[in-house]
Amino acid sequence: MNAYINNYELLCNAGNTQELMQAVYAKESAIVVDTTYLKDATAGLGKMSYDTIFTAMKEVTQKVLKSSNLENFHNTLLILGSSVGGMQECEEIFYAQSSFKNIDANRYSMNALSDYLLETFKFCNARALSTACTSSANALVLAKRLIDVEAYDNILVMGVDGLCYSTVLGFYSLSVLSNKQCTPFDANRNGMNVAEAVAALLIQNEKQSTSVELKGVGASSDAYHMTNPDPTASGAIASMKNAIEDADLSIEDIDYINAHGTATIANDKVESLALETLFSNKTYISSTKAITGHTLGAAGAVEAIVSCEVIKQSLVPPQTGLETLDNTHINVPLVPIEMRVKNVLSNSFAFGGNNTSLVFGV
Amino acid sequence: MKKIALKVTSASKVYAKEKLDMLEEKRLVPNMMTRRRLTRNAKVMLYLGDQCQFTTGKIVYGSCYSELEETARIANSVLNKELPSPISFQNSVYNTAPSYFSLIHKNKEEIITVSSGMQTSIATLKTAALQALVSGEKVFCVAIECINIKNIEEINRCTEYLEAGAAIVIEVIKETEHTKEIENSKTHGVIDSLQELMSVVTMFENGLDEILIEL
Repeated sequence: MNAYINNYELLCNAGNTQELMQAVYAKESAIVVDTTYLKDATAGLGKMSYDTIFTAMKEVTQKVLKSSNLENFHNTLLILGSSVGGMQECEEIFYAQSSFKNIDANRYSMNALSDYLLETFKFCNARALSTACTSSANALVLAKRLIDVEAYDNILVMGVDGLCYSTVLGFYSLSVLSNKQCTPFDANRNGMNVAEAVAALLIQNEKQSTSVELKGVGASSDAYHMTNPDPTASGAIASMKNAIEDADLSIEDIDYINAHGTATIANDKVESLALETLFSNKTYISSTKAITGHTLGAAGAVEAIVSCEVIKQSLVPPQTGLETLDNTHINVPLVPIEMRVKNVLSNSFAFGGNNTSLVFGV
Repeated sequence: MKKIALKVTSASKVYAKEKLDMLEEKRLVPNMMTRRRLTRNAKVMLYLGDQCQFTTGKIVYGSCYSELEETARIANSVLNKELPSPISFQNSVYNTAPSYFSLIHKNKEEIITVSSGMQTSIATLKTAALQALVSGEKVFCVAIECINIKNIEEINRCTEYLEAGAAIVIEVIKETEHTKEIENSKTHGVIDSLQELMSVVTMFENGLDEILIEL
């Protein structure tokens, strides 16, 4: 069985799917310079408008259900990817009370989010994954494989992460947090923007007229360092090769690559090397994190939706924020490119050297 | 629902009221610098991997609370208006333990980390079964909880054992007359997030090494 992405929706700092794509093509970053999280410094962050992460998830999930061919999710598996789970709420209680006493342990971890959706929408079952910044990309990997082996007909993949003090201050402590809007692949880039998002994709075994196929998935581990990518780019190359092979495609079949492109010195250097090695300077590459920031565990799902939109709109996204290309051996467009886009590769890389690549196509 | 048959080729489980003290870190990780950075979950995983004689291949790791100690350190730093330690932050992600395992064993294969609350070990088993089915390879399936942090008594209402883990190596086989559903043999006092995997290890110890699992 093939896996088709039939419906999707998201909420991020730029708004919903339609608003995000407008911002992507207009090169309008939705990153704000924040002064509340850090004591003596500013941070470029991707903040979305919402009440709680739970209401945001419910709203996005309801929209996907309404646009789908399903009456409910009773015959649908939920696979949710997140890196912080219920941390936002637990942090708030802990900082207010300086104690764990009033924290509900069931609302701390990843299942705080998936249990809420399971209860609200009565999915047939739910699983939550957490591999840091590849969490929802890996949720898509499992979804494709479960459809392939005919274990499920319908799977809703969610990528969810809300902003937390732990992540903003954590990335700041690693000296990789930018104090302004991030500039992926730029020679003068100065780091990433932590951001938040909720993204949902309904994957089904039946093709519809507007379907985008999840054609291939690939993953690898660097086995090199907990936070720094392997400088030889072997892990990134392996995950991309695995995904393209799984899709039964060749390098030349890929029309556009939505890069991980966090704008940290290390990631962009190594990812550029991997892209240069595999694609030389032929294939268009850009990172939409210049608009959304890095939505951590939600990034794979957010960028899967961007990839589907690129295919449907036949329009390659330009690189926002780029002034001087660091690696001149890759093809990063500065303006939107109108062309038939048949296949898109999307990369997600995470702490621990966890690499995941996905191929979407028609 | 699709069910597949698995053969368990090796298995191990450990649990301790406060701290597991036989993890043989010095033998398993001779490099002191690396050893000092390991989290408790990583040390337990390295021990279980050694007991199961697994070093390279696909890994599915499960933990409901994962690196609770590092997360608590970060939260206390923020509370005290200090910057978190970069090491604590890098070690706070849920895939820390399998990432250290792969780093130490130079294992470049896929890692999936499951965190499904009290359903974690059954979800980990299902995911490992899928990975074994799709790849045709042996898969290391492991679930660990290490929650022995300062003031844990303020929040712990779910386990008598603050450190515990279970692991198996599986491969897909054709169903035979020996293939059994997972028995409900609860290990008293162990956190529910590990129970199903503990049961599979107990079955293996009792000579039942073929299980059926629903994907």
